[in-house]
Amino acid sequence: MSVVSNILPYAVAVWLFGAGLYGIATSRNLIHLVGCLGVCQSATYVLLLGLGYRWGSIAPIFYDHPPGTPAVDPVMQALVLTDIVVGATLTALLLVLTIQVYKRSGSLDPEKLRPMRARQGSDRAEGSDRGHDGKRTVL
Amino acid sequence: MTPRIRVALLALAGVVLLPGAAAVITGLPPFGATIAQYGERINAITPEARHVANMVSAINFDLRGLDTLGEEFMLLAAITGTVVLLRGRRGEGNTERALRRPGRAVIPRSEAVVLVCRIAGPLTALFGLYVVVHATVTPGGGFQGGVILASGTLIIYLGEGYAGWRDAVRSHWLDGLEGGGALLFTLCGLAPMLTGAAFMQNILPLGTFRDLMSGGLMLVENLGVALAVAGGFTQLFLEFMEETREADELDEPGEESA
Repeated sequence: MSVVSNILPYAVAVWLFGAGLYGIATSRNLIHLVGCLGVCQSATYVLLLGLGYRWGSIAPIFYDHPPGTPAVDPVMQALVLTDIVVGATLTALLLVLTIQVYKRSGSLDPEKLRPMRARQGSDRAEGSDRGHDGKRTVL
Repeated sequence: MTPRIRVALLALAGVVLLPGAAAVITGLPPFGATIAQYGERINAITPEARHVANMVSAINFDLRGLDTLGEEFMLLAAITGTVVLLRGRRGEGNTERALRRPGRAVIPRSEAVVLVCRIAGPLTALFGLYVVVHATVTPGGGFQGGVILASGTLIIYLGEGYAGWRDAVRSHWLDGLEGGGALLFTLCGLAPMLTGAAFMQNILPLGTFRDLMSGGLMLVENLGVALAVAGGFTQLFLEFMEETREADELDEPGEESA
């Protein structure tokens, strides 16, 4: 095998991660930023599957092939599986935070976010809603 | 920090980190030459030791079951966070007003779409169940099957529209599925300890290799994951849909001025 095919999957993973990171650093829209994070995350899929692959091997499922047939690394596949599921729910959580940011600041631009402070005037009006205030500072 | 400084910092970090990445990549074994010893041993031992054909399920539900338990609760935490952040003071009573923008005409669905969705929805759910129960023999499992089950409910939504879908889906049931699945998985870990075995030790009969009923405790854990994933993803969809509702009163007083 040539040098290129020896390192190509790892190089693709690095490139994907770099592209996603550039998108995150320059993002002017929070939804775009969540998408860029997804690109970064797909770099981990490529890296893990690349590490677990071996030429001439079957999938690690010994139903049609008898046990003992050379198979690819099942640990990496299990990692990618959990990675995808957690990634999907995490994307949902980040989009929810985006919704909340939009509701509070009226903008999706991360540049326009200001540090959050306890509001003096409206605390009386909320009364029983104090739990929300604590959460807001965390946001 | 201005965008220009940020990009400059990123470029600087890239310049610093790239040689390291290059050194690591060239130090790795060539792509496709070999796999890690751990995976190799699992492939060699597990079919005989656990009577399952799918190594990925064996890792997720047995060999590294504790990791999956942690991941299961990560899922639960992310979905709980989503629900807590989205669920304002909008009552359950005005569900029919979601996805309606005032002044925009609502185009009725064609009967063909409704028919196709009514056929495809149950079929998709059936396929999801098939993927769930074949976790130990084919490339299936609770995660994949649970997501397919959840997409079955989405097809029902496509056909019936929001109001009909919302009448059929009860939010409490989804909460129960999500939490119950996680609870079932935890109980699978704790129950073996009552018999004096280790946490999550596979004490059930292992069944026959290449049979649907193989893997012992893995089947129960798999079911728990399937319930949690199906309930959780449907819940996510429902909560995002609810976001389009108009609130009866202002969601939180004074927030618009903030």
